[in-house]
Amino acid sequence: MIITKKREFKDLMENIKGYKSFFLIGCSECATLCGTGGEPELKSMKEVLEAEGKAVTGSFIAKTGCQVLGTKVELKPFKDAIDKAECIIVMSCGAGTQTAVELYEDKAVYPANDSLFLGNMTRLQFFDERCSLCGRCILDKTGGICPITACPKGILNGPCGGCKDGHCEISPDIKCAWVRIYERMKKLNKLQELCETTIEAKDWSAAQKPRTLIAREEKKK
Amino acid sequence: MSFREILNSGKFVVTAEVGPPKGTDIKEMIHHMEVLKGKIDAANITDNQSAVMRICSMAVCKIAMDHGLEPILQMTCRDRNRIGLQSDLLGASILGIQNVLCMTGDHVSAGDHKGAKPVYDVESVQLLKIVDGLNNGKDMSGNEMKGSTNFFQGAVVTPEANPLEPQLIKFDKKVKAGAKFFQTQAIYDIDKFKEFMKHARKFSVKVLAGFVVLKSAGMANFLNNNVPGIRVPQTLIDELKAAGKEKALDTGMNITARHIKQLKEENICDGVHIMAIGMEDKVPVIMERAGLL
Ligand code: SF4
Ligand code: SF4
Repeated sequence: MIITKKREFKDLMENIKGYKSFFLIGCSECATLCGTGGEPELKSMKEVLEAEGKAVTGSFIAKTGCQVLGTKVELKPFKDAIDKAECIIVMSCGAGTQTAVELYEDKAVYPANDSLFLGNMTRLQFFDERCSLCGRCILDKTGGICPITACPKGILNGPCGGCKDGHCEISPDIKCAWVRIYERMKKLNKLQELCETTIEAKDWSAAQKPRTLIAREEKKK
Repeated sequence: MSFREILNSGKFVVTAEVGPPKGTDIKEMIHHMEVLKGKIDAANITDNQSAVMRICSMAVCKIAMDHGLEPILQMTCRDRNRIGLQSDLLGASILGIQNVLCMTGDHVSAGDHKGAKPVYDVESVQLLKIVDGLNNGKDMSGNEMKGSTNFFQGAVVTPEANPLEPQLIKFDKKVKAGAKFFQTQAIYDIDKFKEFMKHARKFSVKVLAGFVVLKSAGMANFLNNNVPGIRVPQTLIDELKAAGKEKALDTGMNITARHIKQLKEENICDGVHIMAIGMEDKVPVIMERAGLL
């Protein structure tokens, strides 16, 4: 899921200081799990805004805020409330924010959150980054542990000299990605494979932005 | 004779480190070069060591040559992508720089520009392959070049890494990628180093053991606690303690000299690399005590 955290409230207030009325959009997926765009967060945003003398014309939690068409349909019943608002505050990730930007061309839209990374939730509201969406997966060569993400240097062929007692040079709280890969390959009886494969430099063109994908076959007219 | 020729001739070689300063005042650095000139076989010129921004290694390599020292260009992957690295390697080649040490490089979070974007487009093993390609007239994309480089390329290894086996796997990959010589992280336990050399001797690569002079028992403890891959045995710490404050540095230099002498006499490795870290003046003294001058 996409991991978000609340932006500094004073930065948001600075953004919206010229507006008086707002419509709030949350998201039932990642932002709800992150505690940045679910029911309680929308409620407290409303309260804070009202305490600052602003009006909230309505609020809504999209099922999947990054889904443009679905969100558009879901928002139809809120037309009046949205028309009345001078500005929309989106409490999901940057993708959700840009759904609103696309749907409301003439309205100011501001993000309430910073979008951080694609994360795994390890327990309630504990997240870590395991995949950086590089575009060409090499997990098949690294025992299923991603060094591009788990190693701060993205090293592809074994630990650097900074590895200390199995931990990463940048922090004793991070286990060295290459020690993890080594240990897993050892368990899988695949050390030989690890020794024999030199992973080539990545072709970063697969991560060239902005990326688009059409995953279905286009219907012939 | 060049560093490569000396090393290949079987002579026990000595390299030392020269760290470029931050800023354009290079008086002290040139003094260090003059102290080392004629004594060591080559000088490693560090590349923004510990991710602290300083003069670039290539410019200082040129200055080193002008002052009669053969440089080893240290090249990290932290600050340049594959285009920058290859372009700098070609530049180094036309300046007459013959040796390059390929490293991944300390992370920016260790340095003095913590907000910098770390590059790491490639890493040490891949950089070695790049150098091998340039030596054979081809860039990394396989394009033919007009004129090739002729580098003597090396890499680094940590013989006392914990755990050791992943480090050895990487060592093997570096050999396969074309590393001709290795300079090691500082070692303090010759018996353990001998174990590592048993592994390294399976390959026809040259190994220079790394040395950092211990200035005090406190420094030894600091290294043990903070520097990855360094393990100073308790016996050496006791020896430094027993020497007392006044004599600690002298004792540290004796320890280094004693170890170097043993490595040479027992023919354990092919040379040594002394990282003086500000005490370049002492390098010739250590060499003398080790019987190398
Ligand atoms: S290699 Fe890593 S970053 Fe790339 S797709 Fe696979 S898991 Fe994600
Ligand atoms: S210690 Fe391990 S995880 Fe950290 S930078 Fe080095 S190789 Fe990567």
